Amino acid sequence: MYILRSVLGPFVVAFIGIFFGLLYKGVDRILHARMQKRVGPPVTQPFLDVRKLLIKENLVPENAVDWLFNLMPVLSLVSVTSILLYIPLGFEPLLSTKGDLILILYLLMLPAICLMVGAFASSSPYATVGAQREMVMMISYEFPLAVTIISMVWRLSKVHAASNLFTLEYISTHPLWGEVGVFGAIGLVILLVVLLTVIPVELSRVPFDIPEAESEIAGGLLAEYSGKNLAMFYMSDAVKAIVMAGLVVALFFPYTISQYFGWPLYLEYIIDFAFFLVKTFIIVFVSVTVVRTAFARYKIDQVTYVFWVPVTVASLIGLLLLYLDVIL
Amino acid sequence: MMDLIDFGTLETGYGVWNALYWLLSLGVLFLIVYFIYWRGEKTVKTSKDQGRPFLAGSVTSKEKTHVKASNVYWGFTEALKGYYVPSQKGHTGNVNDYISWFILVLAVMMILIGGL
Repeated sequence: MYILRSVLGPFVVAFIGIFFGLLYKGVDRILHARMQKRVGPPVTQPFLDVRKLLIKENLVPENAVDWLFNLMPVLSLVSVTSILLYIPLGFEPLLSTKGDLILILYLLMLPAICLMVGAFASSSPYATVGAQREMVMMISYEFPLAVTIISMVWRLSKVHAASNLFTLEYISTHPLWGEVGVFGAIGLVILLVVLLTVIPVELSRVPFDIPEAESEIAGGLLAEYSGKNLAMFYMSDAVKAIVMAGLVVALFFPYTISQYFGWPLYLEYIIDFAFFLVKTFIIVFVSVTVVRTAFARYKIDQVTYVFWVPVTVASLIGLLLLYLDVIL
Repeated sequence: MMDLIDFGTLETGYGVWNALYWLLSLGVLFLIVYFIYWRGEKTVKTSKDQGRPFLAGSVTSKEKTHVKASNVYWGFTEALKGYYVPSQKGHTGNVNDYISWFILVLAVMMILIGGL
């Protein structure tokens, strides 16, 4: 069963991730434009962008390490899409009992590492500075992200005794909201805010687009990328938005609505998947579109400060409140 | 179909991971993504000027475009100056100081672990 899922699952998640990721990107650009009183591009613009990039010639810089420079964009898209196999997309994750949240935490790092290796391999000074900034950002946001996830699973372990607590299938079928008291609920809200804060930095969107920063370092990490290589990074960015929003949905809003309809099984899958898309879109809208419209770019030392001090303290307060919820 | 490669599942008591399924799906995903990549334009630009290192408005040599590794953690050390500056003062270069710190931290850890 799982071998079949491992072989066919990638086709499903690749389609869902790339298609809906690009669609969200299109909607995000329209809404961003409307909030700035502009008309904005058509919703299909990201698809057109990818098509255009795929027919453009690929430029490899003179001093670049060719094979690394060309391999990293492909690996980035592969690694980020593989995360979708472990996330419930309105239905049970395709590899539900074969990987857990700790694996997802590690897999989330891979696209960023691919970007950095590709940037270093390009030998461009702009890309090198961008890669250095990406490294600093990673070590800044990983800690609050880990605290948030571990806190939730720890609280869950105090309610249920299971050997697969860390799998998203278990977490999403046992929502914490109904299991906690007042302290726990406040703690969960704080952890949700922390996770929503991590999304734009994980996606390198404004105000955390420091590694790319077109106006300062000419695109940074992606300065030397063009053609199909850039298309791969563009698509992996789109898929990552679905991954991050899907993670928030699975942890905090895993509810389904198909049980209220009593429809045939295949329709239940469709309606739950549609509901999942609505939830992820709301998450992307709140944590990406609104934030990138309202804020200007931070400096790199400000990002480190924000994530190591206020956001980490917030996540630890969330953990403390969950602890108080257990002992009181 | 039976789960033929279930023997590779690592169970920690709280979570699970099977690297074999991950590698299998990663291989399939690689083929899918590489197919898209392969469908893209295959010619590579070889024009000399376009591929040369560019900095501050002019084409320059490879050596001049090098970025120092000491810049890597600038943002990090700048933001956490309150921690790094006092820490640097502790790095006296005197082995006696380092051993003292080691014994002090070890004593605190033993009290904490023993006490708990």
